[in-house]
Amino acid sequence: MPLVLLENVKKYYTLGGQEIRALDGVSLTIEEGEFVAIIGPSGSGKSTLMHLLGCLDTPTDGKMTICGHDVANATPNELAAIRNREIGFVFQSFNLLPRLNVVENVAVPMIYTGAGMRERRKRAMELVEKVGLKDRMNNRPTQLSGGQCQRVAIARALVNDPKIIFGDEPTGNLDSHTGELILHMFTELNQAGRTVVLVTHDPDVAAVTHRVIEIRDGRIRREYDPRKS
Amino acid sequence: MNLLVTFETGLREVASHKFRSFLSMLGITLGVSSLVATLALTNGIERGTRQFMAQMGGLEMVKVVDKDISSEMLDFWNLSPGRTIQDARAIQESAPLVTYVAPEFDEGMPVSAGGQTMRVRVRGVWPEYGPATDSVIEAGRSIVDLDVDRGTRAVAIGASVASTLWPTLTPQEVLGKTLFIRQVPFEVVGVFQLYERESDRKERERQKNQKRTPHTTQRRWDPFRWKNETVIIPLSTMFYEFQSGLFPDDSLETVRLRDFTFRVGDLDHFQAALAQVRTTLMGTHRNVDDFEFETREEWFDNMNASIRATRTSGGLIAAISLIVGGIGIANIMLASITERVREIGIRLAVGARARDIFLQIIIESVTIAIIGGLLGVFAGLGLIWLLNIVAPSDNTPFVTAGNIMLSVGFAALAGMLSGIYPAFQASRLDPIQALRYE
Ligand SMILES: Nc1ncnc2c1ncn2[C@@H]1O[C@H](COP(=O)(O)OP(=O)(O)OP(=O)(O)O)[C@@H](O)[C@H]1O
Ligand SMILES: [Mg+2]
Repeated sequence: MPLVLLENVKKYYTLGGQEIRALDGVSLTIEEGEFVAIIGPSGSGKSTLMHLLGCLDTPTDGKMTICGHDVANATPNELAAIRNREIGFVFQSFNLLPRLNVVENVAVPMIYTGAGMRERRKRAMELVEKVGLKDRMNNRPTQLSGGQCQRVAIARALVNDPKIIFGDEPTGNLDSHTGELILHMFTELNQAGRTVVLVTHDPDVAAVTHRVIEIRDGRIRREYDPRKS
Repeated sequence: MNLLVTFETGLREVASHKFRSFLSMLGITLGVSSLVATLALTNGIERGTRQFMAQMGGLEMVKVVDKDISSEMLDFWNLSPGRTIQDARAIQESAPLVTYVAPEFDEGMPVSAGGQTMRVRVRGVWPEYGPATDSVIEAGRSIVDLDVDRGTRAVAIGASVASTLWPTLTPQEVLGKTLFIRQVPFEVVGVFQLYERESDRKERERQKNQKRTPHTTQRRWDPFRWKNETVIIPLSTMFYEFQSGLFPDDSLETVRLRDFTFRVGDLDHFQAALAQVRTTLMGTHRNVDDFEFETREEWFDNMNASIRATRTSGGLIAAISLIVGGIGIANIMLASITERVREIGIRLAVGARARDIFLQIIIESVTIAIIGGLLGVFAGLGLIWLLNIVAPSDNTPFVTAGNIMLSVGFAALAGMLSGIYPAFQASRLDPIQALRYE
């Protein structure tokens, strides 16, 4: 059973009476332990696909299962539970809560898992240490650099120990050196056995993955392994 | 999702927007403070009224009064002797549900002793007067059967009569002193207890401790005044010394009583007792229906009704302020939600369900309301304290723990109700759109 299974998935938007086919029949399988990059020009549907994979949205049509859950027909509460336990999501713009400090930010998903205060703090501290921010654990996001923010976001994505991590241009807001460091973290995660799927514009990012999926106009145009070409 | 965290999130939200939270609390604070103040005021009024009602002898007291007889009975009017002492005796004998009968003559007369004179209502009574009116002797004795039988010149007086005529003497020392009622000398045989309200007693003790000269010049309305100014003498003495001249044709047995009350033993048998008395009196009045009962039911009902009215109007004012306060909170919560759309989007993205968001907003608004409510309780207590200093009233307002819980409870309710709409709005947000919101 693959972790991600998409069959002829479509996502249409209507804007001013006009139908926009953001995704127009995508079929895709991702197995456990894969390291995938999704590339394509602006407006091709990368983010739309990512939102579907991240269970933030549901398809207009098609079959879709994530970690064995039928996502296409799930209720909002079921989707929330999948987002909470099965998936870690890292955004381009970090999306941290400005009024919480580093540890509290990392612990937020555990609130919705129902974990107790002690357990949340213990687990969050572990991850903060793992991403190398132990000395900044009581700082707020506004007191951190972009790279540090993204490390907090990665720690948060990992806090409920999900099978799969999604990143929508996670290095897009960072300078190239910091971006490399973040990318290295994703590589390490994959090496530790976690499935990682990144959306990127950056060919250097795509180059370190094991499978590149290129989309154009809402369809998969081609797929290749960058290690073999 | 556990409530504690939500609560903590709410508190953090309140703390990080102190001024905004304060503004949204203001309405609730005003509402609760006015609620606390009105509750305290009505408590004071209610306690004062109830004390007064109890001291007046309660609902058990019934007065027998003259009634205009109907026109067809006019010819028989002369048949009835009217309300006389015979009636009182008849009731004593044949109305077992009646515990005390208190016939009396009363007249305002000058009472003097040792150069001091005061004008009071002197009552000629039976020994039953004391128990019937709940008047308890402090020193000496009350009027007894022997006094009435022999027509002695014995007098029992209320506490303020004693202290006015003999300011330096204790009740014990007043016994045996001579008191002149319209120049007729009487011997003081008893002094009644001093009846006063809680507030007056405290005031008196305070003045005593401070060893200040009591300045009783500012005379306030005192519900127990009539009791403390009691001057009672035997009914027979009253008639022979002061009344017989007015009614030369009458004897004590036939003269019409001015005032005539009886006390029902058990309120559960109130109507039955009235029926007994009616039957008895129809006998003595030779079937002429020239009397009726004046019960205190209506009077007490009126007092209760006015207490309720005060309570309702106070409650109404408080309710309006709470509604206004609630709208204030709703407004601020709605504003804070548009400000926090992104935060809500982030929480949704990491696994919050719609109901988690709903709960978070509700708890925030309830938290604001409860803090506002607690501030309101303090403001209300302050207001009462101030009121007691600026305008001390006879019915000292006071607050019970129940009142405070009720007020804070209402504040919490207002917070919850006003949180519902904003919380609903917040919980309906779509995660992607919320995340995209700038
Ligand atoms: N909510 C929406 N309503 C209408 N159209 C939308 C919506 N979201 C996306 N689209 C459209 O769908 C198409 C795909 O958008 P998407 O955001 O997936 O592109 P993308 O590949 O992520 O682009 P970029 O690289 O610029 O981020 C675009 O034409 C976009 O305008
Ligand atoms: Mg995009």
